[in-house]
Amino acid sequence: MSKQKISAYSRRKILTTSAGLAVSAALPNFGWASTGSSPTDIRLVAAAGKRKLDPAFPEASSILTFNGSIPGPEIRIPQGSNLTVTVDNQLSEATTVHWHGVRTPNAMDGVPYLTQKPILPQSSHTYKFKAIDAGTYWYHPHMRSYEQVGRGLYGSLIIEEKNPIRVDRDVTWMLDDWRLEKTGEIQDNFGNKHDMSHNGRIGNFVTINGKRLDKFPVQKGERLRLRLINAANARIFALDFQGHSPVVIAMDGQPIEPHKPDGGLVILGPAMRIDLILDLQQENGSNHGIIDRSYKGLEYQLTSLDYATRPLRNHKPDWGIKLPSNNLPEPDIQNAKRHEVLFHGGMMGGMILRNMGIKSTKPASMMGMMHSKNIWYINGVAAEGSIMDPMLKLDINRSHILQMTNATAWHHPIHLHGHSFKVLTRNGKPTKYQEWQDTVIMAPKETVEIAFVADNPGDWMFHCHILEHAASGMMGVIRVA
Amino acid sequence: MLKKILSVATIGILVASAYFFTEKQAMATEVELYKNPQCGCCENYADYLRKNGFTVKVNPTHELVAMSKSAGIPEDFQGCHLAMIDGYFVSGHVPVDTVNKLLTEKPDIKGITLPGMPAGSPGMGGPKNGPFEIYQIGNGQPSIYTTE
Repeated sequence: MSKQKISAYSRRKILTTSAGLAVSAALPNFGWASTGSSPTDIRLVAAAGKRKLDPAFPEASSILTFNGSIPGPEIRIPQGSNLTVTVDNQLSEATTVHWHGVRTPNAMDGVPYLTQKPILPQSSHTYKFKAIDAGTYWYHPHMRSYEQVGRGLYGSLIIEEKNPIRVDRDVTWMLDDWRLEKTGEIQDNFGNKHDMSHNGRIGNFVTINGKRLDKFPVQKGERLRLRLINAANARIFALDFQGHSPVVIAMDGQPIEPHKPDGGLVILGPAMRIDLILDLQQENGSNHGIIDRSYKGLEYQLTSLDYATRPLRNHKPDWGIKLPSNNLPEPDIQNAKRHEVLFHGGMMGGMILRNMGIKSTKPASMMGMMHSKNIWYINGVAAEGSIMDPMLKLDINRSHILQMTNATAWHHPIHLHGHSFKVLTRNGKPTKYQEWQDTVIMAPKETVEIAFVADNPGDWMFHCHILEHAASGMMGVIRVA
Repeated sequence: MLKKILSVATIGILVASAYFFTEKQAMATEVELYKNPQCGCCENYADYLRKNGFTVKVNPTHELVAMSKSAGIPEDFQGCHLAMIDGYFVSGHVPVDTVNKLLTEKPDIKGITLPGMPAGSPGMGGPKNGPFEIYQIGNGQPSIYTTE
């Protein structure tokens, strides 16, 4: 599970992976400043493999990897680069790659049938797009993703600012959650109805960058930029950095007013990213757990910040931490067109609809729901197979507000492709930071308003990123034309 | 010496708790209920059992799929939570009359299940839309245990 990086700043031509596969990167000789763009050529090979997720396990897990590692190679490119990635499918099934959170042209979005033909086994497909927004993004398949992502097909995509903020270390943690047998093999019950109708496939083994990380060595005085990416199918993380006060500087890639999170908990729904500034100011030689408090009664220690005996420096850095804006188009709230979106269905969904006084004929019965995969609904429709008909048609270059209501008993991280949106209100109250996101987590019975300028033409997926929910109806298409 | 005393005391406690546990088991009112940590209806069902004289310990878990599988409940017959009572499992929102029937008759099965979460069942609320079909799970195919 070695973590590789493909960096446009590095001069290495070939990075050899642990599986012996080669990643080629045609690397620029000029910095971003001198050319304005850096063509970067990357090859990702998707293939099945066997690997022990922990040395203590008796058996290896049946995993899927990009370039032989979990996560796949970290792609690091300067903002404004033109990225070219060829995906070579060595799996026994079709796949695609979606560039989560990146505002790509529609044809590069990686959604089977909607934006491209599936990449069949033993064939390849090339994606090309310009990395317009700096920030923390990730890539993953968009076909049978509940199993393909669930077995490890994903990697980070870091688009670096032209003038990055000063830190001692820039660290990416891709968090994942595996459901393993006691032997270490992955439980082969992907897409079962219990997971689909409840809160998705939540596992029993959490990894950071593909492995259990008991200790993370740090030094007093150090400043980290910690890029957290939740690559889990369904697990929500609520991280308590004991003895530390992390400051959120970006969400879903987009800069935000630096702030300490509510109650000190860093909350990441599936597919969300949060960039933190973490100042290490505890005693030399001390240890401090990072506790995940997301599920009551099931708290556990994700890892531990272990201080070296000697400090890096004796004072706290006073360097600036505010990131430069990506200058996203500002929605015109006064003249925006409004649309209502209702999410319903799932276990206890009928009860919630009754409680909220919402009338809906779908789903007809809980038992009917249990015998099909039509479990979740958006505006009365449960998506089946590869949906194509748009649920919403948005006038291009106009501001739109989606008023979304979660009339279910469960949390849903709702992801819109091709755009970042501003989270305006939660339950009618303006959000404190008016954050830009591409995946917004909604609590049961919560109403969230998001706004954006529909400036990217095409048919875009709009779905829950609990991958079992997406596979059992909670998906739609939004047409921008 | 102190160590020795402590360990003897510890064994004493272990024996006492084992005895206590066996005693409770014989009374058949001790329930271990395994549920999704975010599921509210399962808590309601636990309260319903308590009102009907059971002692219920609620255990949040993410392992319900594996537990239901190892209990032998086919996917289409799973309830949303799993209660362990007197050596049987009771899966889903099974009404207490049926639970008591099971504990009285002591049939040679592994347990019973009310699939899904039908409206009107204990802990679910809402109107009852039809009879509840409760299945028994043994070594063969699930079959109707009772209807209520």
